[in-house]
Amino acid sequence: MTGTPTPHRVSRRGLLTGGALAAGGTLAGAAAVTAARSDPPPVRSGDPVPVAAVGIAVEPFHGPRQAGVATEPQAHAAFVAFTLKPGTDRDALGRMLRLLSDDAARLTEGRPALADTEPELGLLPARLTVTFGFGPGLYRAAGLEDRRPPSVADLPPFRIDRLQPRWSGGDLLLQICADDPLTVAHAQRVLIKDSRPFATVRWVQRGFRRAAGAEPGRTQRNLFGQLDGTANPKPGGPLEAAVWVTDGPDWLRDGTTLVVRRISMNLETWDLLGRTDRELAVGRRLDTGAPLTGTAEHDEPDFAALGPDGLTVIPDFSHLTRAHVTEDRLKVLRRPYNYDGVPAADCTADSGLIFASYQADIAEQFLPIQRRLADRDLLNEWTTPIGSAVFAIPPGCPGGGWIGQHLLG
Amino acid sequence: MRTKVRRPTVAGLAAALTVVTLLLVPASPAAAHNTLKTATPAKDARLTAPPEQITLEFMQKLNPSFTTITLADAAQQKVPTSEPAVTGTKGTITIDQALTNGAYTVAYRVVSADGHPVQGSYRFTVADPTATAGPEVSAPATSAPAAEPSTTSASPASAARDSGDGPGAMVLVGGGILLVVMVAAGAVVVRRRRSSRVS
Repeated sequence: MTGTPTPHRVSRRGLLTGGALAAGGTLAGAAAVTAARSDPPPVRSGDPVPVAAVGIAVEPFHGPRQAGVATEPQAHAAFVAFTLKPGTDRDALGRMLRLLSDDAARLTEGRPALADTEPELGLLPARLTVTFGFGPGLYRAAGLEDRRPPSVADLPPFRIDRLQPRWSGGDLLLQICADDPLTVAHAQRVLIKDSRPFATVRWVQRGFRRAAGAEPGRTQRNLFGQLDGTANPKPGGPLEAAVWVTDGPDWLRDGTTLVVRRISMNLETWDLLGRTDRELAVGRRLDTGAPLTGTAEHDEPDFAALGPDGLTVIPDFSHLTRAHVTEDRLKVLRRPYNYDGVPAADCTADSGLIFASYQADIAEQFLPIQRRLADRDLLNEWTTPIGSAVFAIPPGCPGGGWIGQHLLG
Repeated sequence: MRTKVRRPTVAGLAAALTVVTLLLVPASPAAAHNTLKTATPAKDARLTAPPEQITLEFMQKLNPSFTTITLADAAQQKVPTSEPAVTGTKGTITIDQALTNGAYTVAYRVVSADGHPVQGSYRFTVADPTATAGPEVSAPATSAPAAEPSTTSASPASAARDSGDGPGAMVLVGGGILLVVMVAAGAVVVRRRRSSRVS
């Protein structure tokens, strides 16, 4: 339903369940607050405000697997990492996650959260997803170290790393994505507010892609202008094999793992590279994303192909060569977002990528790729990892359930 | 009158020259990409004995992770060699088996200190008069081994082919000079006008 360009004329009344929030015009939803205060809702009989399909699109929150992983990436994202407060033990975590799951379930359906102070902001889900991730510290706090997936641990240091504590680690992660930035901001506000008794905010990384529907089905571009994510496992069997844990105890099955890395991109030195040099560094054409040995984005690269002078057409130090994985089971699902901070006074950019990759096992899938990249990827000349965090993504939950119930309940 | 007008002109030109010099001095090393300095065997060399190694010396230090040197025969088939051994600015490959007579292409792909990939290639010929005739028809039968010295240095400019299509160092420097000269000329004109008004 997303990607349907035709705007629907929908009465907001129709968006709201149970009619509890029935109200016309722009005041719709204010009823939530007023109802809570047992004031009569201000009903206005006016024309309904037209709402486009992009605003009302819903990604289901409940299900065996969490949304926001295999979900077609939304245009906006906030990655929010928390540090658990010292007293937040297994029971407190249960209370916290019940609360946050309820918030997430409501907001993703276009219903304001309980005691939502800005209920109007909860009415357009715009494909909102809230994906919960458990860092190593959460298992420690819950006294469940033995249930932590072994690969969910701090990554080994890499030569190229310049990690900053302000972008690294985290006990609990909320990946909040939607096609509307206001929806993301509101969900972030609600979820952080309800986390206050249990945790402190460790870092927040906000990112973006093209606007919803601007380039449907297109691989996203990063701020170097490269198509980013071409080699992702294809939906269906390949993605299933790469991303989801298919066996083991019920707190792991239908779960996955997430690596979040903040990659600073030096646009100033990248500017000095000619187009040919950029394409040699990447191993792909910048316009089509085709490998240097092909003509279309998804052409299989031919690493053995030689040019007339005897050099390989795709340099062995290219990002493509170093990152390439042929076996689906060993691929990672990249779901990155661009970030573009405030430029410095000297007019240099603060830009980069919130690298986010999902894989069934970090040690088996992510680490070998990362080692090869750290070793010999020419793109390292212009990119610097400045943040790093790992999380287990627990399975989803049924209606009335909460994320983490198998692990902590 | 006239001398008064000219004095600021000369000063202006001197200032402009100083600026040009200041711009040029830091500009050239910063903007330059790595280039091939010398090659053994040299470009277009005609060898009377097959070489066992190929050594390329560059203007900047080589990064072993990003240094490729290959050898191909006249049929553009890769000739088996070792991986490049890198010491400082030099990279050396050792050829596995003695080369037969014929034309060969050395190709290299290295990375400048600023990360720019640089690649290029050149040819040399093995024409060993004592060797059994190779399949190459192109190898001339005339034995004039002393005619072409085998140790001629390759001209770095001709051997190195910068793969970049962005503004090259020379373009940047040239543009810089042009800009400074234009600004200086403008300053001179302005000063001349001011002087004439005063006088």
